[in-house]
Order: sequence, then C-alpha cells, then structure tokens
Amino acid sequence: MLRAAPGDAQPTPQGITVSQEKITSIPLSRERPGASPRPEDKVWSGLVYATNAAAPKEPPPELREFASRLKRVFGYNQFELAGSAAKPIDDDGESWLVPSKSFRLGVRARHATSKEARGGYLLDLQLFQDQRPIVATEAKLAPGSPLFIRGPACGKGHLIIVLQVQR
Amino acid sequence: MKTFEECFTAWVDGQLSGEALAAFEKELAAHPEAAADRDAARQLGKLLRAHSTAPALSNADFFSLQLQRRIDAETPPRRQPVKPEREAVVSIFSRLAWAGVFFLVLAGASFFLTIPHRPAQPLAPSNYFAQVVESWPSDPGISATTVYNPEDNVTVLWLDGLDYMPSEQLALK
Repeated sequence: MLRAAPGDAQPTPQGITVSQEKITSIPLSRERPGASPRPEDKVWSGLVYATNAAAPKEPPPELREFASRLKRVFGYNQFELAGSAAKPIDDDGESWLVPSKSFRLGVRARHATSKEARGGYLLDLQLFQDQRPIVATEAKLAPGSPLFIRGPACGKGHLIIVLQVQR
Repeated sequence: MKTFEECFTAWVDGQLSGEALAAFEKELAAHPEAAADRDAARQLGKLLRAHSTAPALSNADFFSLQLQRRIDAETPPRRQPVKPEREAVVSIFSRLAWAGVFFLVLAGASFFLTIPHRPAQPLAPSNYFAQVVESWPSDPGISATTVYNPEDNVTVLWLDGLDYMPSEQLALK
C-alpha cells in the first residue's frame, strides 16, 4: 500500500502525495535498466468504455487495432474512447498520464535491454481513481504489445484502460 | 491260444488237424451234442450255397463303380500331408506380414478419421511482449489478477473490488 513518507514525499501534479521512495523500492525484474529510452518512444493510455449494444458503433480510430481483441477478451461489442493521453518516455522520472478526470496513471519507464524485450520497457505504474490509489504494477511493454487493465463497472459495461508503447 | 469257440468254428469248417484236432476232440468228450451241432452247421452251409438269394448282376463294372463312388463319398477326407518345415515358416511369416499391413492401414485410417487436423501453418514467433511482473493493490478490498490469453496475445490486469462508476461521469468522444 502506498503511503506518504514524511520528508521524501513528493506532491504529484494532481496534488496526490506519493512516496517516491516507496515507488523506487518496488522489487524489479531481472531486466537490466540503464539504457536510455529512444527519444521517439512514448507511452499511450486510453480509457475505454466497453458495453454491449444492439447496434454497436464503430470503434474510434485509436481503438481499431485493439477492438477485436477487446471484444474476444471482455465479451463486449462496443468500445468508446472516454479519454486518452500520451507522454514521451524519458528517464527524467515519473510521468503522469491523465486519460480522464477520474483516472490517472503514474508511469516510470526504464528501457529493457534483454533480447526478448524487443526494445520494450519496464514500467512502474500506479493507477488512481478519483485521487484514490488503486494498484501499483510493474509491467513490461513493447511497441505492438498493449496491456489492458480491467477497471471498474461503469454504467452497463466496464471501463478498460489500454496502455501501449508507441514508436 | 484259441478259445473254445474259435476251435469249435475251425473244427466245424474242417480246419483242425493233427495234435490240435486230437486235443480238441478230447475236450469235446464233455460235449456230446457237439457232433450234432457240427452236422447241422454243415447242412445249413450247403443249403445256403445251393439256394443263394443274391441277384445276378447284369453290369458288374457299373455296380462296382457306383459302389466305389458311394464309399468315397462316405469316407472322411484324408489329412493333408504335413508340409515341410521351411514352407510352414514361410507361411507363418507371410500371414504375419499381411496382418501387419492390415493393422497399419487400420491405424492410419483411424488416425485420419478420428483425430481432427488443422492445416499446417508455419510457426511464427510471437511478437507479443506485454507482461505483468507484479501487482500491489492498494486496498485489501481490491484484487489484481493477471490474465494472459495466448490465443489473442493479450495480457490483462484484471481488477476486482473497484467502486462502481456512473457512466454520466464519462466524457465520451
């Protein structure tokens, strides 16, 4: 559980206090960080509202590459984009993705150097919903390999967060 | 040694002679009716030979042929002569070979008929890489499960226990 630590706590742009020490102390995988991120790489996040509709609408262009997989995995037939955000990946520290006013993602990325990583990244993610921390995650992402996060129930469907490295 | 009955039959037919005849006639002393029995038997023989009831055969060869055919039909077939050992071994191996071919064809047919087959596809290395190394839910009421679907190459961080959100809060595009 993330807690503010006196002395080294840093306020986020949204006014959420998160312990920097706690974030960096998350045990990491055996990847060797250290290589610099490619300057053209960025991490993209989209908040998707998934529902079942009698006459489903076409997914927006940003979601077309994910639509078939989203349909098979989550069982919904209509996907609408409720917000998206993208930030260049740099090694300056934490970036914040705010795809909607209700959800925000804290991202710290490091370039993975292992052969199987295919130029991907190790991401330390923190997901917040309405300023409430939900989950901290360490994940590996690479271009063309999105990660889906199944969020809360919303309306007659679910919210899904799509996270992808774009090059 | 002949029994009394055999000796008596030979004596009636006049086939005993010498010491055998003398010894048997001594034995017959205890059977005074034996001479009468011998005379009756000889008389009956003469009568049978003189008044035979067998018909005269007009075509003896044809009768013999028919008789031989009937005998052949009623006689059980002779056993096959035993084959030489080498021929028997060859026969066994030939049968085993045919049995092997039969079961091979049967197994092949069963394989193709009962096991579904997919068209051969070249194995392409997956380019999918997303992976959740670890997750730490910030609330005991929240659970985070990583689900990987290899068919769709999708990794999902599946969160449960989150608060419901009204759809009116969304600004859909």
